[in-house]
Amino acid sequence: MIESLISVLLFTTPLAIAAVGETVNQRAGQINIGLEGMMLVAAYVAAIVAIETGSPVLGIGAAIAAMIPLWLIQNFLTIQAGRDQVVVGTALNLCAIGLTSTLYQMRFGQSGQLLSVPQLPRWGGIDGMVLFGLLLVPVLGWWLFRSRWGLVLRAAGEYPDSVRSSGFSVARIRWEAAAVGAVMAALAGAHLSIGVGGTFVQEMTSGRGFVAVALVSFGRWRPAWVLAACLLVGGAEFLKFYYQVRQTALPYQLFLALPYLVALGVLVIVGKNSRAPAALAQPFRSNQ
Amino acid sequence: MNSVVRFVAVALGLLLTLCLTLVIFGLPLGPSLSRIATGAFGSEAGIARSLVRMTPLLLAGLGMVLAWRAGMYNIGGEGQFIVGGLTGATLYKLAPGLPPALLGISILVVSAVGGALYAALAGWLQISRGVQVVISTILLNFIALHLLDYCVNGPLREQAGQNPLTDRLPDLAMLAKFSVRTDLHAGIFLAIITALLVFGFLFFTSPGFKIRLVGENQRAARANGISPERVQILAMALSGALCGLAGGVEYTALAGQLGRSFSENWGFLAIPVALLGGLHPLGLIPSSLYFGALLAGTDYLSRFSVGGKSIIYLIQGAAVLVFMGLQRWFDQKQPVVLDEEART
Amino acid sequence: MLALAPLDEEFFGGTIHAVLGENGAGKSTLMNLLAGILPPDSGEILVRGTPCRLQSPRDALGQGIGMVHQHFMLVPAFSVRENLALAQTPDRRGGLDEAKLIQSAVDVAAELGWEVPLDARTEDQPVGVRQRIEILKVLASDPEIIILDEPTAVLAPDEVDDLFRVLRQLKARGKLVLLIAHKLSEIVAIADRVTVLRRGVHIATANMAETTAEEIATWMVGELPPQLAGKGGVGSGSVVLRASGLRARGDRGEESVRGVDLEISGGEIVGLGGVDGNGQVELAETLCRVRPLVAGQIESGGTVAYVPQDRQVDGLALGMSIEENFLIGGLSNRDLVRLGVVRPRSVKAWARRLVETFRIKIGRLQDPARSLSGGNQQKIVVSRALDQSPAVLVAVNPTRGLDFAATEFVHSRIVEAAERGCGVALFSTDLDELRQLSDRILFMSRGQLVEGESAQSLLGGPA
Repeated sequence: MIESLISVLLFTTPLAIAAVGETVNQRAGQINIGLEGMMLVAAYVAAIVAIETGSPVLGIGAAIAAMIPLWLIQNFLTIQAGRDQVVVGTALNLCAIGLTSTLYQMRFGQSGQLLSVPQLPRWGGIDGMVLFGLLLVPVLGWWLFRSRWGLVLRAAGEYPDSVRSSGFSVARIRWEAAAVGAVMAALAGAHLSIGVGGTFVQEMTSGRGFVAVALVSFGRWRPAWVLAACLLVGGAEFLKFYYQVRQTALPYQLFLALPYLVALGVLVIVGKNSRAPAALAQPFRSNQ
Repeated sequence: MNSVVRFVAVALGLLLTLCLTLVIFGLPLGPSLSRIATGAFGSEAGIARSLVRMTPLLLAGLGMVLAWRAGMYNIGGEGQFIVGGLTGATLYKLAPGLPPALLGISILVVSAVGGALYAALAGWLQISRGVQVVISTILLNFIALHLLDYCVNGPLREQAGQNPLTDRLPDLAMLAKFSVRTDLHAGIFLAIITALLVFGFLFFTSPGFKIRLVGENQRAARANGISPERVQILAMALSGALCGLAGGVEYTALAGQLGRSFSENWGFLAIPVALLGGLHPLGLIPSSLYFGALLAGTDYLSRFSVGGKSIIYLIQGAAVLVFMGLQRWFDQKQPVVLDEEART
Repeated sequence: MLALAPLDEEFFGGTIHAVLGENGAGKSTLMNLLAGILPPDSGEILVRGTPCRLQSPRDALGQGIGMVHQHFMLVPAFSVRENLALAQTPDRRGGLDEAKLIQSAVDVAAELGWEVPLDARTEDQPVGVRQRIEILKVLASDPEIIILDEPTAVLAPDEVDDLFRVLRQLKARGKLVLLIAHKLSEIVAIADRVTVLRRGVHIATANMAETTAEEIATWMVGELPPQLAGKGGVGSGSVVLRASGLRARGDRGEESVRGVDLEISGGEIVGLGGVDGNGQVELAETLCRVRPLVAGQIESGGTVAYVPQDRQVDGLALGMSIEENFLIGGLSNRDLVRLGVVRPRSVKAWARRLVETFRIKIGRLQDPARSLSGGNQQKIVVSRALDQSPAVLVAVNPTRGLDFAATEFVHSRIVEAAERGCGVALFSTDLDELRQLSDRILFMSRGQLVEGESAQSLLGGPA
């Protein structure tokens, strides 16, 4: 039983880190549909660097570095050029799938091979990233709600004009929020390959980035609730392993679809009562 | 800014993106380009391959146009495509005895209906429950994928063999093919005719006009007695219908049976096709042809160099990013006469 | 267009100085210049004798100039405490020591004897409280000059009294209070000096002690007739619009239309005046069935056409073509759309006819509406509304921002429509316009209709 709980925790960590990072981003008024792609690139880069150097920690560092160009391109288009966040994020995902799969195939051949990636050390089934993820929630919670930085950031997601009239730059705040989101995406993606899986396979994020975006609204834009949402969905995901042990009359695919069904179901129930940041996904034009 | 300059700028941007991508991956530029061209247009088989790939891109891309024009971010083309195919296969399972010609047409109709209902569900969730379409359609994609997996392994599994596939349609129920040597099928005509119909619908009917108006300015629509919510649900339903139809065409034109990898990301790839076509039904014809040809060409390229096949995603994504940048540039060029009113 | 002609003015500490004028008179432009929001095209601003360049609200605040905006710069979802802290935080480093950040604001509130619900959500507060928060935000940095843009427009009478008490307190401390207003009666009660602007031109400045309300009113709107009851014409007799007991909510859920009864006969132009923000827009939208009714009934004898207040927000789809923008109002016209199919030739011919009869200056019909000037954009909205031959026309500030010729043109079209038997509800904050066109003038105040009988009541508040 405890073992299963630990497994749930380990499986949930990448989802939770990504979702909490995305919470910061959305609080500043930005929706990052490209989260999936960012995680995928991070997973790949971390795996390759870890294989080459033998050090998973260097892999994590490289994954973070790999986010820089993505962060620059995405936010130049959304913040500076005022382009649609959903469109840019979708394009970023395509780029990430193409980039990682092509690089992977060029390196390991068309059909690929089973990679063995040096993993983060584990203690009793959990690794450092799990602890980091658990720690991240109160830290980012504090940062969002108990710091000046967070106050101004939240105002930028609710009513950007008020931020400008207080003398701060909305663009700069959004660049920063996107950077936090990108670093978290890097950690989440890296943890998939060098933490949970110990391998890299093509398109290995398999929708976790998308689910993370959905879980932010499920968690009502509060890190602790987002974490809870992630654990719920992570638990639902874990049920499929349970299924494999004990056959039930229910179809296996139901368990595979369960995380998405749970997320959608809760969103429908929570529905109109939860309030998104008022300026979410709206470009802010500072030239008025 | 005249449209010729726009077109040339976009075309040049696309070509540049393609070349750059090849160069970055260390593929020799000249030979790779010529192989892509050969694969796409070099032979009857090549042209057929391009057009076969263009078909679902165009149909689902048109679906994207209808939703996005109404301001609904339908990312769920993939799910609607799958549900379309599934509905068709279910019909065959329930009524295998239908006369083949009628069966083929009925499958196309029900697949459109299935896709429409699946998309309308997402639209309804946004309007009545406040769940953003962009999020619900992504979740519905995964749900559809697992539903397909379940169906081909369970209730829709073929009677004879052991494979997780549905029963194969009788040949006479399949869409007509032009030649025994290639896969080219009547779907391409259906797709192009649909593009013309969608063009006519959007620009020459009042519901189409309302869709564009709601996407452009919801408040102006409301002030003129149009309910944006109803228009948006309609747009989602039509969008899903076309994605579902794309699924139905793919089902009745190629294999005649569904497996778990029935959709090769068609619904997803349709998004950049729609964006690069400027969300204009006629613009989608060249843009889907371009990507269809690119898919066929990179397929061929991948026989010579490893990694050629997935490169298409990168080219597509990069193309959209470049296009976004170009649009910004167009916007700046556009003369804007400001209101002389000193806004207070 | 010049919003404000060259102007010299002096302001003194320890006074309450009112800047009066109707909408579009240039009051807000003047104040925005002083608050560092707009840069002047020419001229300079001297604070305590020193010229200074005010590039931003922060600069202005540095010079001791604070502005309370008419549109609150408050984050609706924040607590009051958070909003005060946001305004006071000098940087984005370190923890959120709210108590310390808002200390000065809390002190000011205590001195003024205000109770501020610090933990409540800002959007749940009544308008008067939200305005106090705005004022506290400004006072917390202890400015010498405080500008208030139309502060009374949204307040209830007792709230106005409270506000004035505070302004007197500020004056007693030697501050300069600049008050923008267009309600004359309230100004009489509080201002020491008054400056009047009309259509961007400085008309007069005087000490209140040396002038009368009647004189100021004349400065504001030109010669005033003794009675402002409209032209007194009567319509065709048959009622085309009957509304009774209307109640509706505003965008923030506040009660903005509070029991309105209105009858309009065919051929009659009913002027609906009043200060912005007293429920006019909400009433207009309710009459056109754009805004849901909370209570009451509306009966109309045919089509109700609508000319919304903000053409760019509610009237036009700026990215769509001029022709299509006409079509927005022509979707129910059988000649243009039959069985859901648009007939392009008819639409083109029809659009061309409207362009000609309304003398709209356009390039091509295919150009986006964005490419037109504001006056021509407005003509599109007006022409397509009138072309429906409506039984009722509801127009909100139909000539706002238009030049003289365009204004005259729109006016004549509205009168023509009325002559053809259309009942018109003309919402306007422009007195000249109401006087010139209306058969009957009603006055809207805090969501209710009041008869407009004397100059005094039209200029604001109870006589």
